[in-house]
Amino acid sequence: MALFDKKRTFAALKLRLMNSWMFVAFFIGFFLFWEYSVVWFDIPRYILTPPSLIIENGAADLPRLLDYTLITGTEVVIGYALAVVLALPLGLAIAFSSILKRTIYPFIVCIEMVPKIAFAPLFISWLGFGLLPKVIIVFLVCFFPIVLNAILAFNSLSEELTLFSRSTGAGVWRTFFKVRLPAALPQCFVGFKYAAINATVGAAIAEFIGSDQGLGFYIQIVTGNMRPDLAFAGIFFLTLLGLSLFGLVTLAERLLIPWHISLRRS
Amino acid sequence: MSNQIEFSGVKKVFGTGPGAVHAFGPVDMVVGDGEFVSLLGPSGCGKSTLMLMTAGLLDVTEGAISISGTPVKGPQTDIGIMFQDNTLVPWRTVRGNIELQLEMRGISVASKRVEIDAILASVHLEDFADRHPYELSGGMQQRAAFCQAMIHAPKTMLLDEPLGKLDAMTRERIRSDLQSLWMEQRPTVLFVTHSIEEAIQLSSKVAVITPRPGRIERVIDIDLPYPRDYEVKRSPEFSAYVHETQEIFRGYGVI
Repeated sequence: MALFDKKRTFAALKLRLMNSWMFVAFFIGFFLFWEYSVVWFDIPRYILTPPSLIIENGAADLPRLLDYTLITGTEVVIGYALAVVLALPLGLAIAFSSILKRTIYPFIVCIEMVPKIAFAPLFISWLGFGLLPKVIIVFLVCFFPIVLNAILAFNSLSEELTLFSRSTGAGVWRTFFKVRLPAALPQCFVGFKYAAINATVGAAIAEFIGSDQGLGFYIQIVTGNMRPDLAFAGIFFLTLLGLSLFGLVTLAERLLIPWHISLRRS
Repeated sequence: MSNQIEFSGVKKVFGTGPGAVHAFGPVDMVVGDGEFVSLLGPSGCGKSTLMLMTAGLLDVTEGAISISGTPVKGPQTDIGIMFQDNTLVPWRTVRGNIELQLEMRGISVASKRVEIDAILASVHLEDFADRHPYELSGGMQQRAAFCQAMIHAPKTMLLDEPLGKLDAMTRERIRSDLQSLWMEQRPTVLFVTHSIEEAIQLSSKVAVITPRPGRIERVIDIDLPYPRDYEVKRSPEFSAYVHETQEIFRGYGVI
């Protein structure tokens, strides 16, 4: 079966362009409107700057922005990785243990109702301005979606596959690795993706509350200095960070579960 | 070794106390070695429950089931099972799904290459071995599921409405495939269905089951020559069996 067919790829691209040209036009139109409305409506530069100026001044401050992206990125990556490493086994344990399901599970559901970000000032006051409190907050906002989706994932094996597995006489581990785990992965990725979106939000807000470096800190300081241009530059890099993490998770999803209905080539 | 299934006083009650539901039985029946027996009854009569109890996947409340003289206690691993919803996993190809049955049982896949190719060819799926289930039609999926359920060459087959979700024409074709396979290898088959015609066409015996709580009302010996094709279905004898069965259900107000 030919996976790559030049003619068809071209046709698909053409179709894609035809379907998306309105979006692209709107996107460009939006930025053009922004660019010129600042001039037309005579908006002061300390309120809003045109995109061209954001790019220009952002580029001038690039070393600092990259530096801070690295710092915020470190918080995001460590917090997210910790959340995955701890939440997945916990979700698994809760899914298979009736005791944990009656103790930790309702507790987690209750905590899930609490806006985790509200803990941020407390962690900062307990642990100071460094990396650790930010990592913990990123961890908190990522942990719950992963745990809850993992529990759902490992509890949702179809009746038929459960019976099939039992009828083969396979042991717990073999059943887990050959049936339960692959069947659970799509739902697990729902949690991973949701957490990936949360991660940069958590890091930025934690930095707003108490920090002396990072993109959240940067955005807050330059806004205080009446420099919306630099604030937008900071937001741009924060977005880039979030997109990169989300992109990596999506890539992992494509590699691990290419068979899933949401990823099939039509 | 005689490969017969014996049901003696088999009864299933779900739950306990005043809320208990008497789902099935008591039932006594012997399915002889190499017989094709259909459990025919309306939905909710407990046909599938009996099937699961036979497979050892569901406990018997009262009575006992034995296969080849050995009492059923816990999941039976030397039987082949098919359900209405197939057990093909989406992350494996057709061949991979057949191999899954072997891998789960700790049987070496390499030692069964010939058997896998043969069973795929027997249901005309040899060209689709490397496709994923979602690339196949419903009928092809059930054929693949059949290969998956039978690759370990079980002497007993439990088929729980495996054709239930297929369209009438596909059903017809897979029925005849199933019949040839049974005639060739003569496993003992317990086949759940709610289609009167299907039961009579395929079975050596039809166990007619009453509405809940399901009991075997009558076991009808179907004395028609195999293979049973369209000619047989047009015969007056076939119609007589259909009529006899319909009368039983009419008596219960099912049809």
